[in-house]
Amino acid sequence: MSATKVAPILSTPDTHVFGDPTPFIDVQSLPKLSDEQLHSQYEIHRTINEITVGGWKRIALQFPDEMLVDAPRVFEALSHGLEDARKRRKISHSSSEDGIENHDSGRNLVNYMGKLGIASEDLPEKVYILADTSYGACCVDEIAAEHVDADVVVHYGRACLSPTSRLPVIYVFTSKALDLEATTDTFIQTYPERDKKIVLMADIPYSHHLQQLYGLLQDEGYTNIFAPSIIHDPSSLLPNRTVPNDIKQDADKLHPYSLFHISEPPTSLLLTLSSRFESIYIYPTNSSSAFSLPSTRPPSRNETTNPQPLAPATTTPLLRRRYALLCTLPSVPIIGILIGTLSVRAYLPALQRIRQLIADVGKKSYTVVVGKVNAAKVANFAEVGAWVVVGCWESGLVDMKSGEGGGGRYWRPMVTPFELEVAFRGEAQRVWGGEWKGGFEGVGEEKGMGGGEERDGGVEGEDDGDGGEDGDEDRDSGSEEESAPPEFDLRTGRYISSARPVEMSSNKASNRGTKRGNGHAANALIKRATGDVARIGGEASPGAEFLRSMRTWQGLGSDFEIGYQEDGATVEEGRKGLARGYTVGDDDLRK
Amino acid sequence: MVNFTVEEIRGLMDNPANIRNMSVIAHVDHGKSTLTDSLVQRAGIISAAKAGEARFTDTRPDEQERGVTIKSTAISLYATLKDAEDLKDIPVKTDKNDFLVNLIDSPGHVDFSSEVTAALRVTDGALVVVDTVEGVCVQTETVLRQALGERIKPVVIINKVDRALLELQVTKEDLYQNFSRVIESVNVVIATYFDKALGDVQVYPDKGTICFGSGLHGWAFTIRQFAARYSKKFGVDKNKLMERLWGDNYFNPATKKWTKSSQHEGKELERSFNSFILDPIFRIFGAVMNFKKDEIPKLLEKLEIKLSGDEKDLEGKQLLKVVMRKFLPAADALLEMMILHLPSPITAQKYRMETLYEGPPDDEAAIAIRDCDAKGTLMLYVSKMVPTSDKGRFYAFGRVFSGTVRSGLKVRIQGPNYTPGKKEDLFVKAIQRTILMMGRNIEPIEDVPAGNILGLVGIDQFLLKSGTLTTSETAHNLKVMKFSVSPVVQRSVEVKNANDLPKLVEGLKRLSKSDPCVLTYIAETGEHVVAGAGELHLEICLKDLEEDHAGVPLRISDPVVGYRETVQEESSMTALSKSPNKHNRLYLKAQPLDEDVAKDIEAGRIGPRDDFKARARILADEHGWDVTDARKIWCFGPDTTGANLLVDQTKAVQYLNEIKDSVVSGFQWATKEGPVAEEPMRSIRFNILDVTLHADAIHRGGGQIIPTARRALYAATLLASPGIQEPVYLCEIQVPEQAMGGIYGVLTRRRGHVFEENQRPGTPLFNVKSYLPVNESFGFTADLRSHTAGQAFPQMVFDHWQVLPGGSPLDKTTKPGQVVEETRKRKGIKPDVPGYENYYDKL
Ligand SMILES: Nc1nc2c(ncn2[C@@H]2O[C@H](COP(=O)(O)OP(=O)(O)OP(=O)(O)O)[C@@H](O)[C@H]2O)c(=O)[nH]1
Ligand SMILES: [Mg+2]
Repeated sequence: MSATKVAPILSTPDTHVFGDPTPFIDVQSLPKLSDEQLHSQYEIHRTINEITVGGWKRIALQFPDEMLVDAPRVFEALSHGLEDARKRRKISHSSSEDGIENHDSGRNLVNYMGKLGIASEDLPEKVYILADTSYGACCVDEIAAEHVDADVVVHYGRACLSPTSRLPVIYVFTSKALDLEATTDTFIQTYPERDKKIVLMADIPYSHHLQQLYGLLQDEGYTNIFAPSIIHDPSSLLPNRTVPNDIKQDADKLHPYSLFHISEPPTSLLLTLSSRFESIYIYPTNSSSAFSLPSTRPPSRNETTNPQPLAPATTTPLLRRRYALLCTLPSVPIIGILIGTLSVRAYLPALQRIRQLIADVGKKSYTVVVGKVNAAKVANFAEVGAWVVVGCWESGLVDMKSGEGGGGRYWRPMVTPFELEVAFRGEAQRVWGGEWKGGFEGVGEEKGMGGGEERDGGVEGEDDGDGGEDGDEDRDSGSEEESAPPEFDLRTGRYISSARPVEMSSNKASNRGTKRGNGHAANALIKRATGDVARIGGEASPGAEFLRSMRTWQGLGSDFEIGYQEDGATVEEGRKGLARGYTVGDDDLRK
Repeated sequence: MVNFTVEEIRGLMDNPANIRNMSVIAHVDHGKSTLTDSLVQRAGIISAAKAGEARFTDTRPDEQERGVTIKSTAISLYATLKDAEDLKDIPVKTDKNDFLVNLIDSPGHVDFSSEVTAALRVTDGALVVVDTVEGVCVQTETVLRQALGERIKPVVIINKVDRALLELQVTKEDLYQNFSRVIESVNVVIATYFDKALGDVQVYPDKGTICFGSGLHGWAFTIRQFAARYSKKFGVDKNKLMERLWGDNYFNPATKKWTKSSQHEGKELERSFNSFILDPIFRIFGAVMNFKKDEIPKLLEKLEIKLSGDEKDLEGKQLLKVVMRKFLPAADALLEMMILHLPSPITAQKYRMETLYEGPPDDEAAIAIRDCDAKGTLMLYVSKMVPTSDKGRFYAFGRVFSGTVRSGLKVRIQGPNYTPGKKEDLFVKAIQRTILMMGRNIEPIEDVPAGNILGLVGIDQFLLKSGTLTTSETAHNLKVMKFSVSPVVQRSVEVKNANDLPKLVEGLKRLSKSDPCVLTYIAETGEHVVAGAGELHLEICLKDLEEDHAGVPLRISDPVVGYRETVQEESSMTALSKSPNKHNRLYLKAQPLDEDVAKDIEAGRIGPRDDFKARARILADEHGWDVTDARKIWCFGPDTTGANLLVDQTKAVQYLNEIKDSVVSGFQWATKEGPVAEEPMRSIRFNILDVTLHADAIHRGGGQIIPTARRALYAATLLASPGIQEPVYLCEIQVPEQAMGGIYGVLTRRRGHVFEENQRPGTPLFNVKSYLPVNESFGFTADLRSHTAGQAFPQMVFDHWQVLPGGSPLDKTTKPGQVVEETRKRKGIKPDVPGYENYYDKL
């Protein structure tokens, strides 16, 4: 009895409130860039120039998390620089237009210009730091920028260069140092033949070294090297890089080429390129991402006195794992579409196509926006069997195995739109030969593949009994139509009957619709045949079905059905009265 | 010429009292297919000359080439008793002397045991074949045990008696002793698995439930047949005579009296079995094989055997065959034994119903099955799929237990996971055609009533391997078959040409349908894996896959075994994991589950579908569990059925039921791929000790709990002295004494150990039983043969899991550590096992 005297806990008790889990990082201990380094690494001058030329007034700065430490200093530098520039401009301006009085206070100027109706050319620029990115750091966060009504976004760090739809962007790649000599040596070791066809690429922070390296290698006698330059075109044959004209005509011409890539490319790039090149060699810079700590330096010449040839990079195991992942899709009834970006142009039509793809194979899709994707967020949707991530070509590839120590792994498979398309292409057409695409551009556009898998009839075709059978038989009396066959789940080797929930029930729905088409359909009671999928608003809802049949906890009270808890607490009288003060029983004392 | 028509057979089908459904089962090479031939020959399907060599039921080319049966094959035969008087001896009143015998020849090799299981399910009786010389072997015992488990009544034929006479040159008394020993061994097995509902089904020669003969030569006899012969001749009661023709019964020619004593006035008397039954046989053998030309005709006349013109010119074995076949035709003896002593469906279904049907024993379907009611609800069990000539399509092979199935009938198809009221694994479909299975041929048939075996066209896309067909909306499933073998050996396959992938995928689907046991799936690593019971099984499956189902060139990996991750102690401290938002904590411990419990779970004796109270009783009474714990089993895993348990030991935790589903999901996830090598877990019991949860529902959703549960389970496992389990075969080797030395060496080198060794009495053969890790069994047969000059023949069947000895799998220098590292590398994951700290959160 005494135990139940205590009021139920309806809030987290103090003892259960945990401390802030984020590990404390002592900012002071982080290495500091000198002002000079800061200026060069963050390309302050170029940025200021571009801003001035563009005439933009409200500027949003987008940093990846790793660079946020430098953000205040970059902000300072930019603000000062812009102010200086403005002052200089003013001087030249005033000298050219003598008639106008010179005001030094900005506000007066605004007023003045407002009065005159002159374009606010010389308004002071306002600079904002975007504190957090909603999706991947590689994508320009236009939405956040629009919150501050920005005219332009300055994007720092590595970028996926996906086209933006609303705002102009200044990319600052934050270049990194590279030991050119050591690189050249390794290159020579790797490619003994001087006439080998080679494409020279570098991760974006290193790309400014390419021209120089190219020169050095030509001096070494290499005759067939091509060093593409950066363009903003993720769907290019070499994503975001130029392609020689003759290859542009015929993608197969790229095949004899070998790729020499400086620094570890993002996985999605590696997967994309692996089928397009004869071989890929990656020159490590000991920094898997472009923003690692300065302590990790690329091997310099003194350290590796004897440069070793590189081993070719292989993507086969990774591609195989992706294959296993996408093969789970055909047997899953509900697929979640996870929006990993809002900033990239054309995601809406792509979303539409993906939904169509999913609907075409009789599955249900739910579209979900969770911001930055992590395991905990997506695991909240227990009914969703697999996720397709609509993101830029780089962040769309979610590494299933990452994050073991922290947020944990993903519970359900996460695939890219391209993989989804392959999965639903139907087994008769599905090949997995190494071709891989990131991003969502072009998905579902191919004609004739959306129709789902062919399902064959019986040994000697369908029996012909079906046509006449319907006659005057009443569908409502519980007679059931023939079912669609189950799906063979390649991953487990079993039959899954619930793989196409929508298709199954829509047949029935349309049949019912025609049966009692005239008028009273809306208020007629429908007998639910056992085995029907739950429906909401007349539409099949596998999600509701999941909640109905798969979830054991159905709300308060349902606990009693959980078998083993037979001895519940003794019933006792509760409190009653007004909120001003409750009483228990006849007790007049207010509590 | 075939001496019956489909119409005749169809006519017999309506008369279940005149039906016998039976399987021929035995150890490998004991002569099942050869014996079946004599019955097939009697039905006029093959000629007498071919019988014994044709092995008509070995329909696949590779079965003929290798001389080993791979698939079980069914055939329907029309039969009559030679003497209509015999009808009186059938325990159930039978009027007509026309019988329909549905017979299934099954494979004897252990690797194909699942085919036997599928055959037994649809039959009511079994003809157990035992080789006189080899006696009762492992597989004899296994199939007999399985038959009794399904409540299948056995009769026995002691086969290859010709070998005893020709090769071993035994005396009559030797042979009698040999027979009695074999019979005794059979009866020991039968007695061990005594089932009250089935009654005493031990076999007795003097009751006519044992037959002796030679399938190859086409002759066989029962004591009853001889008794009938002599009773006419001497005018004695047949039944009395039967009892006297076996055992310690002697006829004293001097006194013309029967006696129990082997001596009379100091003179040895000859045992009646020897003098009345074996004597004429020995005489024929003696006369024919010793070419005593003048004796033969006299003997033949005495035994009333007439030879045709050209048969008279035969000599030696050829003549022997003809004479014996005329004297004691095998088909007569077998048919008589089967018809008189095996139950009809009407009889059998009365006691089989409760073991066959999952639902309550008094519902509509149960009663229809019990009564074998052709007019009741349809209850049909599909036990396997048989490939058709149309590539990729299959006949569903099964048995009608009640109702009548016909072409065009709309049925409910219930897969193995169907539960009444739910829609999972339930389909509605019209039967396209019903057919009769006739060995390699089929015959269309309009409809098939209760009690018969048949094939169905048009439902193969709905059932992977087996399932229940019914017309009732409330019927439960017929019980899913339990196999005595498991797919423990795996090989991965890939196409040589990437564009062939669709063909491979299609091929794998077909392969998986065509065999009751094989498993095909895509591993986490993206490899297509084919798993089978043993090397031979996999070899056959992969050959079928490459040449037939897929039809494209394949690259096939070396065989590997699947391991299991387990724990060997209780977690050294409580594993704690916090949710990503740090507001929820799970406290867990892992401990080893009793091996007995794990085995019971795997054998289906303890399972998630059981009533939780009954289950708790079993766990408490038989396995010493605390009753409260036993009632608080949250789930089994992986796949909700595996041999790991999650037990709630918390006290009064608020909102606990709300997160149960999430914890269970995390448990299924974690047990499917463990922390050590991403292999499934086995035989671990996890106890949830305490849980703290955030008061707001949104902060304790699946996203917070599922990953956390998995991490906590991993931490608990890693803290509980993890171990790796490997599958182990029970290996039985038959070997002559002089070759014994060779097998010990081979076994030792392969980490095998012998635990039993005994000589088969009266033979130079030894039977050696040992345990051999599956991982060491690849190439074992060949190795063994080369070390014993081809004289040793092993049979291996999965027996149990054993912890890989040699230290902790977390230590890379140990053998288990190396296995783990290798496995991890093969899977493309970090070679080092993450420490428990990766999953453990400090308070
Ligand atoms: N001497 C003799 N040999 C026999 C007899 N019956 C069968 N054999 C031989 O034994 C071998 C195996 O016979 P099968 O009929 O294939 O044996 P099985 O039991 O069907 O074998 P599996 O189906 O592979 O298990 C063949 O070589 C037969 O010729 C017999 O009565 N006497
Ligand atoms: Mg055989």
